[in-house]
Amino acid sequence: MQGQGQPESFVTISGVTKKFGDFTALDALSFSVREGGTLALLGPSGCGKTTMLRCLAGLETPESGFISIAGKVVFDSAKGINLNPEERGLGVVFQSYAVWPHMSVVENVEFPLRVRGISKEERRARAMEILEIVGLGQYAQRSATQLSGGQQQRVALARALVHKPALVLFDEALSNLDAALREHMRLELKALQDKLGFTALYVTHDQGEALGLAETIILMNAGRIDTSGLARDVFMNHRTSFAALFFGLNVIEADKLPGMTGTKFIGFQREHAHLSSVTDSAAQNGDLIVPGRIATRSFQGLVDEYAIDLAEGVSIRVLDGQGQFSPGDQVHVRIKAGNLFRLND
Amino acid sequence: MQAGTQSKEKSGWAWQKSLPLLGVSMGILLIIGPFMAGLVRSLLLWVADDPQVSLANYAWLFTDRRIQTAAINSLICGTGAMSISLVLGTSLAWIVSRTNVPGREIFKTLNLIPFFFSPYVGAIGWIFLVAPYSGLMQTTTATLFGGPVEGPNIYSLAGVIWILSLFYTPYVYLFVISPLQRMDAAFEDAARVHGAGFWTTVRLITLPLLQPGLLSAALIVFVTSAGLFDVPLALTATKGIRTMPTEVFALVRYPSDLGRAAAFGIFITAVTVALTLWQRAHLAKRRYEIVSGKGYKPRVIELRRSGKIIALTIEIIFLLTSVVLPVLALILVALSPLWTGKFNPANATLANFNYVLFEYSLTRQAIMNSLFLAVTGATIGVMISGLQSYYLVRVRSVFKSFVDALLALPLGIPGIVLSLFFLIFAIRTPLYGTLAILLIAYIARFFPFATRTITAMLSAIHPELEESARANGASWGQTMRMILLPLLRPALIAAWIMLFIIFIRELGASILLYASGTETISIAMLLLSENSVGYVAALALIQLVLLLIGFSLFRLTRAPVVQ
Repeated sequence: MQGQGQPESFVTISGVTKKFGDFTALDALSFSVREGGTLALLGPSGCGKTTMLRCLAGLETPESGFISIAGKVVFDSAKGINLNPEERGLGVVFQSYAVWPHMSVVENVEFPLRVRGISKEERRARAMEILEIVGLGQYAQRSATQLSGGQQQRVALARALVHKPALVLFDEALSNLDAALREHMRLELKALQDKLGFTALYVTHDQGEALGLAETIILMNAGRIDTSGLARDVFMNHRTSFAALFFGLNVIEADKLPGMTGTKFIGFQREHAHLSSVTDSAAQNGDLIVPGRIATRSFQGLVDEYAIDLAEGVSIRVLDGQGQFSPGDQVHVRIKAGNLFRLND
Repeated sequence: MQAGTQSKEKSGWAWQKSLPLLGVSMGILLIIGPFMAGLVRSLLLWVADDPQVSLANYAWLFTDRRIQTAAINSLICGTGAMSISLVLGTSLAWIVSRTNVPGREIFKTLNLIPFFFSPYVGAIGWIFLVAPYSGLMQTTTATLFGGPVEGPNIYSLAGVIWILSLFYTPYVYLFVISPLQRMDAAFEDAARVHGAGFWTTVRLITLPLLQPGLLSAALIVFVTSAGLFDVPLALTATKGIRTMPTEVFALVRYPSDLGRAAAFGIFITAVTVALTLWQRAHLAKRRYEIVSGKGYKPRVIELRRSGKIIALTIEIIFLLTSVVLPVLALILVALSPLWTGKFNPANATLANFNYVLFEYSLTRQAIMNSLFLAVTGATIGVMISGLQSYYLVRVRSVFKSFVDALLALPLGIPGIVLSLFFLIFAIRTPLYGTLAILLIAYIARFFPFATRTITAMLSAIHPELEESARANGASWGQTMRMILLPLLRPALIAAWIMLFIIFIRELGASILLYASGTETISIAMLLLSENSVGYVAALALIQLVLLLIGFSLFRLTRAPVVQ
């Protein structure tokens, strides 16, 4: 049973549990990644995503479970197998990049080849090749400390790829970059992955990063999988209040809303609420219509963000481009039936 | 009214400007003054009764065999002690900071004790332990297995290196433990996941990242051990083996030739200063941040059973040899009415302590002198250093980095060389033979330790805390009294205790300057060492108790030992 997974499974994680004292960081976590696939472990800090990555890399030892990478069992608590990090043949891009300050750029990049005993000429050639790909060819002889954050990130990336690992792990790889650079790197990373075809596992708290980089997403909560599936599906179809809140939806207890029965919570996107000062004539059966009062309004560029107080102490946030309401105004909030998510926990 | 406020402000301004400069100029005077005296004396040669300027002393210096031998011996001691303490200090720091060795938190403190102990007392303790035929180990072995036992020869350069290594291992330990604890674990993890095994990672990543700290520690240990007077004096001087500091002593005493001694002192100073400046420049080039702030703490390595045993063994051997065994030997000797190499519990007595503390005027006076020098010296030293730190951190000046480098110079200059310069400076003045000249020499040699401690803490106090007091109407004096000094108090106390400890045990800076009536504890031990070992042991233990009190108080301030 264990270790077989789905037929195309390239990375298999099965029943992995990791505790730190009384705190359960990973609670019998199981998932798999197909060869050449990209998966993002997404979640708030403390959800266990980084612990999972470290267990995969061999930097933490789980209490129990089974992990195999590219057909090789790297951890199996039942059989007492636990390979050292260096025996797992991975590439890892660390959050702090961990570019060694006492080595030049090219020395950093050729390190994985050097410790594998590859000749000086060959490793230099391969390091230069990958440095060209990440656009750092002319910086090869620089000291690593002379590089900007974005350049260090590319060095870390080149180092993680140079030995052609079967699986590359990214720990919050883009979160230390500023917004513009992050977007740029995200697109580059995507292109690189398409070109080199490595299997990638991203760990991130940033939904944009996860959605942009990975074909499948696992949303984690307290050491367990909350939601998993194709990126678009996870983002578009919310089934749990945790997921809805994580993606920034309004989540309201159903019994505080008129006509909403048969479910615990109702969720909707901030963009999907329509505001009007009179009863909305376009209302259709099943739409949620609720009166409220504008509490604050803040300018957000193309739209305004309103905080709106509903009855019973419920407050929601709404994005609206009409720009016709002021704090204190009474409004009707309408959300189309198709834009409402019924959440059961 | 208006004028009154203005003049008050003006005088406050004057204090703010002049006080820090006063501290700095006193420091510079304490360095330049004796150095100039030594330099001038080294260039003078008396022909008949006429002093003439000449390079003869230097010419002699570079041709004399004695000097060459002493230099080579110092080089051997410095290199040997440096190598052993680098290995031992790094291992100990790694064991307590990175592994789950049992008792690691206690060992973290215990490992520092030799740093506060006196190497001279350590050497004496080790003589009692392993002196050929008569050491405790030899007599015990002889009793158990029969026959006279010679054992290792402690009266040798190897013996000197052994003692120096034990007492300077904590220097390396201190320089290495902080980066080891705070280093971003991802540096090592990145090596592991990309294919490097444990030892490869240590060799290619951990040690190179520690290199700046290791280099600083190596230089300090080298310079301090090569320049330390006490240990070679205790172990090899009587056997005719001299190192540079004991050779300086010999040049002053048998027969006295201050000109040649001064030339030698200037030469030693020049080498030390050159080494220090080279290290400063080298470190400035490769100062990189290994604490990223974004990373995580290094993992604790789970040692296997055998690993735990090895780690514990290293720890225990270090503490036994550096502290427990020599102190035990001292206690046994001090409790014996007549030391014969064997301890007889039936004869144990406190008579030696009684005599040394209450009856013998030399030792009684020496204890009083040491306490006076330590308390007064630490107080004056902290005041001067506090002002210097204020100048170095708060005052805007183009000379700052120059002043900083200048004020750090005494750190490397051997105590006996500085006291030689002070001797030349004071020999024809009423200062000669007083406690005051000892006091001045102590402060001149050791104030940089206090300045470093205080500067480190002052740098961490944001100037806005003082600026907001000024903005709220406090004068500069009030701001100092009510804001800065209270904030700085832990560092001032730590610096005071540090100086107290150093002054209580000091020998090298005292040896050329004491006179009858101004002996210190260490001097009294030296004077009595030939024939009254019981008194020496009792004195040594009294000194250790004073040092131990200092050490405990120092731990209470929670100040880091090195900056």
